[in-house]
Amino acid sequence: MSTPPRAVQSGRAAVAVALRVLGVTALVGVAATVWLGLFVTPPDEFMGNLVRLLYVHPPMAWVAFLAYGVASLASLLYLWPRTRAERFDRLAGASAEVGVVFTGLTLVSGSIWGRPTWGAWWVWDPLLTTTALLFVLYLGYLALRRVPGELHVRARRSAIAALIAFIDVPIVYLSVEWWRSLHQAPTVLNPTTQKTYVHGSMAWTLLLGFVSFTLVYIWLTAHRYRLAELQDLEDTEGLEAALAERRAEAVAG
Amino acid sequence: MLRDAVLVAGKDLRIEVRSRVGLNQIGPFAIAVLLLFGLALGPDRRVLAPASAGLFWVAVLLSTILTVQRSYAIESADAARDGLRLSGLDPAGIFLGKASAVAAQLLVLEAALTIGVALLYGARLSGALVLVGACVAGTLGLAAVGTLYGVVASGLRVRETLLPLLFLPVVAPVLLAATKAWDEALAGTPGRAGGWLDVLVVFAVLYVAIGIVAFGPLLEDG
Amino acid sequence: MNGYVEAGYVVVLGTLGTYGVTLVARERSARRRVGAGSNKARNAAGSGTSAPAGSGTSARAGTSVPQGDASAREHRAVEEEGPGSAPRAMSP
Repeated sequence: MSTPPRAVQSGRAAVAVALRVLGVTALVGVAATVWLGLFVTPPDEFMGNLVRLLYVHPPMAWVAFLAYGVASLASLLYLWPRTRAERFDRLAGASAEVGVVFTGLTLVSGSIWGRPTWGAWWVWDPLLTTTALLFVLYLGYLALRRVPGELHVRARRSAIAALIAFIDVPIVYLSVEWWRSLHQAPTVLNPTTQKTYVHGSMAWTLLLGFVSFTLVYIWLTAHRYRLAELQDLEDTEGLEAALAERRAEAVAG
Repeated sequence: MLRDAVLVAGKDLRIEVRSRVGLNQIGPFAIAVLLLFGLALGPDRRVLAPASAGLFWVAVLLSTILTVQRSYAIESADAARDGLRLSGLDPAGIFLGKASAVAAQLLVLEAALTIGVALLYGARLSGALVLVGACVAGTLGLAAVGTLYGVVASGLRVRETLLPLLFLPVVAPVLLAATKAWDEALAGTPGRAGGWLDVLVVFAVLYVAIGIVAFGPLLEDG
Repeated sequence: MNGYVEAGYVVVLGTLGTYGVTLVARERSARRRVGAGSNKARNAAGSGTSAPAGSGTSARAGTSVPQGDASAREHRAVEEEGPGSAPRAMSP
């Protein structure tokens, strides 16, 4: 592999620096959120200290769906002939892997919140149920990506599968919401409609939480993307080494 | 496109009539599922009867997976895709044909399961129009999604485990809506099932449309 | 009550932290392997010695690497784009 031109090398260095900055910012943001969330902000008048989980659980859910949206958009861009590029397939895969982590965390954090709040480790809340299905959709997509095959075959197949599933998510959400509304539980048990007066420091902390974890998502996805790039490169090189060997053997033998 | 669809559907159904795999294997499987549900939820009809709709549709979902897998298995074993690809038929037509064949087999199965559910769980059948409507709309959606994911999985070694994983989450709304529609019908209030039937119809139309567009590219891959 | 809050924070931060750390570690080892692989390619082309082809069990890119290589090999043989494609793919 010949050494790439200097312009590319400095471009790569700039990206590395940007990622480093992003990582530090994200880390600082998360640390600030945790500090504010656990120590500075007051307990809620209804939920008490449990409100502190509110600074973490909704950001998890937001990122879970954001990651899914990014993966789907990347899949669409890959399929569209004018914007087809390997990088979009890689982005879809990277975003999906990071997304599945956040989705799992959404479910776990929601469950941890639920146990003391509603007395159960799980409730069939529309958002939580949709998130659970999203989790399984993610896992299916990742399983499909792992099936070996030519790169562009795998990419196209995964992209189409991703879009088929993506279109389903709003249908799932609306169906579950309607399904739940038929069994109207008392509002104290219905977490999404529970009105907590989020004021002052709580609002800022919540906002900080959303922003920080979004930055974390971007950082993780960027690194996952680079890992995928390196792995593809590795496969290419392995191939070239094998081809070069063959040629050398053919010449010698 | 439609001509090819009829051709493919006819072929698939003729194979089924001759081999009778659906009749001999998938049918009994579905009955077994109903029986096992009965064992799991206890002999008390007061528990089973209200659950009839849900159990019926879960049995249908599981049977759809088998029917779709069979639909692709009948193409010459592992060269399944090559056979379809080289046939020169319009891919959208192949999709419609295969999905229709799957749907037809499922509808026959559902008729049997309806009797099973009435018999085993003591479900009192009423609101026939809604029951049938939900079956038709729901089955079309199931067949469309199944056929679509079926072609994705068909060339792969992991197809048996991948297809259910891809298929089941996506058809969750069908399960939900169809069960609710059936619940209303069985409870004697079929009028309230209207919205759920709408969901089923929208889902079916949407995924048939997606199938028509996406089946071709998926068929070419691998 | 507080136990739940702490558990929640620990799980979230712990999982994300662990994932981030393992990700960076995987990236580093992949980068090392890529560097080594390019050397092998150069050596094999130069001296014709039989170097082991294609290091690495890339965990994510495909479970059975040999099968992936085989089909990709045919693909590459047709294309023969060579290493020129790699830098292009890298610049975002």
